Amino acid sequence: MIDILIFFIGASLLLYILMGGSDFGAGILELLPAGPLRERQKKVINRAMGPVWEANHMWMVLIVVILFTGFPTIFTTLMIALHLPMLALLVGIVIRGAAFTFRHYDAIQDRPSQRAYTWLFGLSSLWTAFWLGIIAASLNRGIIDLEAREIWRAYVAPWWGAYPLSVGAFVACIFAFLASIYLVGETNEPDLKRRFLRLGAVFNGLVVAMGGVVFAASMGERESLATAFLRSPFNLAVVALATALFVALWFLVTQRRVLLTRVVASGQIALILVGWCLLYAPDAVLTARGPLSFYQQAAPPATLRQLVLALLVGSVFIFPSLYYLLRVFKRSSP
Amino acid sequence: MDDLFAARATMGFSLGFHIIFAAIGMTMPFLMSAAHYLYLRNKEPAYLALTKMWMKGVAILFAVGAVSGTVLSFELGLLWPGFMQHAGAIIGMPFSWEGTAFFLEAIAIGLFLYGWNRMHPWAHWAAGLVVGVSGFMSGIFVVAANAWMNSPAGFDWVDGAARNVDPVAAMFNRAWLHQSLHMQVAALQAVGFAVGGIHAWLYLRGRAPDLHLKALKIAMVLGATAALAQPLVGHWAGERVAELQPAKLAAIEGHFETSRRAPLTLGGIPDAETGTMKWGVKIPGLLSLLAHRDINAEVIGLDQFPRSEWPPLVVTHVAFQVMVGIGSVLALLGACYFWFMRRPTFPRWFLWALVGAAPLGMIAIEAGWIVTEVGRQPWIIYGIMKTKDAVTPVPGMVYHFCLFLFLYLGLAAATVWLLKRQIQAVQKDFGG
Repeated sequence: MIDILIFFIGASLLLYILMGGSDFGAGILELLPAGPLRERQKKVINRAMGPVWEANHMWMVLIVVILFTGFPTIFTTLMIALHLPMLALLVGIVIRGAAFTFRHYDAIQDRPSQRAYTWLFGLSSLWTAFWLGIIAASLNRGIIDLEAREIWRAYVAPWWGAYPLSVGAFVACIFAFLASIYLVGETNEPDLKRRFLRLGAVFNGLVVAMGGVVFAASMGERESLATAFLRSPFNLAVVALATALFVALWFLVTQRRVLLTRVVASGQIALILVGWCLLYAPDAVLTARGPLSFYQQAAPPATLRQLVLALLVGSVFIFPSLYYLLRVFKRSSP
Repeated sequence: MDDLFAARATMGFSLGFHIIFAAIGMTMPFLMSAAHYLYLRNKEPAYLALTKMWMKGVAILFAVGAVSGTVLSFELGLLWPGFMQHAGAIIGMPFSWEGTAFFLEAIAIGLFLYGWNRMHPWAHWAAGLVVGVSGFMSGIFVVAANAWMNSPAGFDWVDGAARNVDPVAAMFNRAWLHQSLHMQVAALQAVGFAVGGIHAWLYLRGRAPDLHLKALKIAMVLGATAALAQPLVGHWAGERVAELQPAKLAAIEGHFETSRRAPLTLGGIPDAETGTMKWGVKIPGLLSLLAHRDINAEVIGLDQFPRSEWPPLVVTHVAFQVMVGIGSVLALLGACYFWFMRRPTFPRWFLWALVGAAPLGMIAIEAGWIVTEVGRQPWIIYGIMKTKDAVTPVPGMVYHFCLFLFLYLGLAAATVWLLKRQIQAVQKDFGG
């Protein structure tokens, strides 16, 4: 039962990063100067994101629901110790969703308001991606301490520091990288295609560079990432493979294989996620007073059975309709 | 403002904000589908224009509802970790089904909004209907979870922890059916009247009158039917509250002393100090009759509960009066609608009455929600856990409250502004 739930959390997290993440990435791309391409780029992003962003966003809601139903202690621990980053995340989620929808559905498309929506959409996308990274980095630092009474130690220290901040920037780069690679296939206009390819290359470089910064920043942590990865050759292999795939990626790009490029880019990000998760499995959170493992913190079996049932029945409906959604809108990009 | 009050204010405000968008998000799609159906059947372009106009409204309101709903799923833990610690495992089941329904809704709305000319017309129509149906289902699930807080079931409370958890029994607690039914009918009623009222106003302004009359009729058939059903559903809900939560009923009615042949007070302000109702009109025996179907039945008063377990009396009583008052007005207008519908035109005074009634349904939803939430205080899980024991240890909650206050006020202002621009654009298209 618990394994099925861990699988669902992992799968939802991966799909959220790949699909929801690229929606955030698209917002980040719109912050960059685009000169005369700006309007057409906006059109492509509206067309690519419009039908799917609400569904992509649902993966996060699913993770929250699985956590508070199946692993209430893990959920409440995070909501107390990481109260501030969660709050920041929520503000970003609200503004991002609203600004994107308002931009598209505003009946009067005048310049000043469109500009304001675009800025809000871009900034909130960057902001949300950044805080997602901070939250992810804070899970396993061993600083979360629910017994702490002092405000700094209880509510700020768990997520403060060079390491979480660098992971925040790393995640923003990953999202922008995914968005660039996906968007190449969303347009047939050569100059836009070139732009997205160039952005893809830039963010590819930034992902690698920021990855290095993350490793360096983790030296100040209780356990540095380098030592953690060295613990198991398997993890090391996963990271090596993810990096090696960049060569394959750019080979495919030069061959103009749109679908394969997307698959490889997604695969890289999936490998990074898997490698990171395996470092800590089966612990979800490492607190100052020891780990919170999925196995030890699970809800009573009756609850888990019902939760798994809901997820399986839900999958029967959700996956075919999601497939249908993607087929209708991604079949032929005009 | 202390932390507990700030947390309650934040939750109240977030829910009060979300409930409007949720009500619209789960009922507007039905109006939209009805117009869409009429278009597909009769090929009348006015219905297509109407479908698209409502669709744009749905798109904006749904997005705000979806993000504010996401906020709520986090707020449960951010504000009430003591509650979720125990309740998560017990009432997670309706939430997981709600998540599933919401997911389907999000997929369906993508298909509907962007599926024009890309899907078979009837498949496209069906996607719009799925938005409504799955939205309606998720509403039922969420209210079932709230009902559990009023009528906890499916666990044994031993030494401050839940044992023998049975999530199925928790979901189908003794309050789920009447609360869900009451809420869903209220949503249909409020949205029907809000949309009907807006189109009545546009019709009276004389621009594209034919279009707005069609819109008014679709909205009002739904709203008026719900408004006529609501008094019956509401009465049943009241009977159930009398049985399940006598303290809430006593607070609603300002009923201080346990008595037979208990009177119903119309209006009035309860005074907790003197234990009396000030002003107000008393109708002898009516409360006993309504609550227990017997004019001589005993109705439990606040005297049966220690003072520390009384809900805030004035708020609960006044909110209830507002809700019932509005319900009565809307039921009357609903009956008038069916009467006038048989004539070739509606009298102008009636259309103006509809304009005036446009916000009433939403106000009644807010009032009813205040009754059920404030009326449950000081409990978060009725009879099991006090709200003050569930609140987060995080200090400075007043800032959290202010943050969401400003965020949501800004969002509400932007939404209203957008809808106004939406209507302006439609008016232009129809040569107004």
